Amino acid sequence: MPAPIRFALIGNPNCGKTSLFNRLTGARAKVANYPGVTVERRSGPIDLPHPAELLDLPGTYSLFVTSPDEQVARDLILGKIAGEAKPDVLVAVVDATNSRLGLRLVMELKTLNRPMVLALNQMDAARNRGITINTAGLARAIGIPVIETVAVNRQGTDELRKLLAEFAENHAKNPLPADTQTLSLGQLDELSRDDSIEELYQRIENIMLDNVVQPEHLPRWQERLDVVVMHPVIGLIALFTTLLIIFQAVFAWAEPVKDVITFGQDWLSEFVSLNMQEGVLKDFLIQGLIAGVGAVIVFLPQIIILFFFILVLEDTGYLTRAAFLLDRPMRGLGISGRSFIPLLSSFACAVPGIMSTRTISDPRERFITIMIAPLMTCSARLPVYALIIGAFIPEQTVWGIFNLQGLTLFALYFAGVASAALVALIMRRNQTREHYPLLLELPSYRWPMAYHLLMGLKERSWIFIRRVGTIILALSIVIWFLVTFPGAPADATRPAIEYSFAGQLGGWMQHFFAPLGFTWQMCIALIPAMGAREVAVSALATVYAVGGDNVDAALGSALGQSWSLPTALAYLAWFVYAPQCISTIAVVRRETNSAKSTTFFAIYLFALAYFAAWATYTIASWLV
Amino acid sequence: MNAPSPNLSTLHTHAPIANTGSLSLDECRKGAQVRIVDLQAQSLFGSQDERVTLRLKELGFLPGAQLKVIGFGLLGSDPLAVQVNGTKFALRRAEAAKIRVEVISGSH
Repeated sequence: MPAPIRFALIGNPNCGKTSLFNRLTGARAKVANYPGVTVERRSGPIDLPHPAELLDLPGTYSLFVTSPDEQVARDLILGKIAGEAKPDVLVAVVDATNSRLGLRLVMELKTLNRPMVLALNQMDAARNRGITINTAGLARAIGIPVIETVAVNRQGTDELRKLLAEFAENHAKNPLPADTQTLSLGQLDELSRDDSIEELYQRIENIMLDNVVQPEHLPRWQERLDVVVMHPVIGLIALFTTLLIIFQAVFAWAEPVKDVITFGQDWLSEFVSLNMQEGVLKDFLIQGLIAGVGAVIVFLPQIIILFFFILVLEDTGYLTRAAFLLDRPMRGLGISGRSFIPLLSSFACAVPGIMSTRTISDPRERFITIMIAPLMTCSARLPVYALIIGAFIPEQTVWGIFNLQGLTLFALYFAGVASAALVALIMRRNQTREHYPLLLELPSYRWPMAYHLLMGLKERSWIFIRRVGTIILALSIVIWFLVTFPGAPADATRPAIEYSFAGQLGGWMQHFFAPLGFTWQMCIALIPAMGAREVAVSALATVYAVGGDNVDAALGSALGQSWSLPTALAYLAWFVYAPQCISTIAVVRRETNSAKSTTFFAIYLFALAYFAAWATYTIASWLV
Repeated sequence: MNAPSPNLSTLHTHAPIANTGSLSLDECRKGAQVRIVDLQAQSLFGSQDERVTLRLKELGFLPGAQLKVIGFGLLGSDPLAVQVNGTKFALRRAEAAKIRVEVISGSH
């Protein structure tokens, strides 16, 4: 059995490589209409008669790289990544609505003298705009096969699949030696020395003149939309309004679905309790499994709503406009518009956010962005916030339109952002004076594709459910064990839970957290939250279900009875800052490649969390 | 974090030229249609300057190319958004100052 042939998708940022990848492999990877989604190569098998593998590389404009993500793409093509064979065939992807820029990269890739095909992507959008491309002429002029594709529908990629199948068949019959020629960077320079940029562009100009007819202007609606969206004042107002609407929706829209889930959970609990005999197993099912997992799963609707909005904003191309608007204010903080997208992704999860900082060319800016990314409230904190807000903040209408709970949530998000700004400002002080350019492409607007939205949401929901089924389930079981054993002695005077492992552990931890007003139950919940923040909720559910007098009482009202308002607020403040999730610390270690930076990261966030919670508790106690 | 390091010794940047007909892109107003005359060195970018020039050229900011100023960011009219060859880009003043242009239409 020969080794599978390796195809690599390469092209400009935002030319549709990832949607093409999804179509060809059937994998539902994330696609977005902004540069920098694929920062690491991703691979998947293509369904062809012969074994074949497809690589999706980060978008790049040139082999002369200016940021770490572009370097990944170049090094992989040149076979410079250790333990990673060069791809056998390059599949250059060119956005047909933006062909000049794409063809420039193709011509540069041509100098590598490797087997290559060109996928002219987004042909449907190009036709709608009145762009006509003579594919056969283009193929002749460049000297490689050219295929028209529409990555968003299946028919659009069939022809490309057929062509790749031919390559795979030839490869299976006659596999090339693993390393035919490896071009060094020096040789690459030699090659481009012969072709100055101007000459290369002249050749592209001639090719375009012969084969591409396109209207001089972008569609009028795009121009009009940009007048509003990119307006320095109206655009910013629109941006903040959009963000506020999202946070309102996360709370308001999810409520009916949450009720249904809670109802189902109560019913299940009831069912088990009526039909099982008393014992450890029953106790485990109700208090460990159903209470623990159910406490987290109930937040699925909110997470889906949040991701729905982020996916829509990504897909339309709006995000780079936001980066444009925010560049100037962000620069005052030592970061730039380029940091906006990694930071926004961090609202979903800091891990992909930190990974996408590779699109930032300035090393110092990238460092600051990595350090502040976890201050953007990730979706795993949402369950914790939602629980405490639901229990302590009354549902009131403020100023006629806003919901007090929604406003509180917004305030928590804002606290994270404001602190990030402050931290960046402090870190910026020892920044070098070297300037790096912004140079950001503003892609044309695209309608979000229902198919991709659904796939994106499905993927996100699945990730969440899988977390619930694995890490959250496991941690819930551990917590249940810790709160159940050992049982109370016969002459117990206090509730049984205080004699358990969890009770003892919480008791010790409480000495450290007492100045913040934390109860020992809250301290216990902090431990599993290291694995995944949302487990704090299921831990609390288990601890209170086991320890409380009224097992059936909803978690929220149980908390309402046993925490004071200052304590609850301090807990919220803690979660704004705490570097609690291990995955985030691991990704910081990998992306900074420095133990020192990682230690600094963990300690500074921990200190900030402790201080913020202490300050909140102290001030709130004084006010209440 | 290792910085990418291509050898850019093959590139040249032009010395500033005293041409009364041309101005730099950051002096242009919104809506101006201009043609690129030249790309100049910009000391602000230090050792990065040649790479910035290269990237600008790669993105289509070449002498002769037509360019339209489509908008400005929030404060100090920075960054600017321009359209070249049908593609929109956001540039900062520092990058725009590298680009000498002559005005085709629209005031400056």
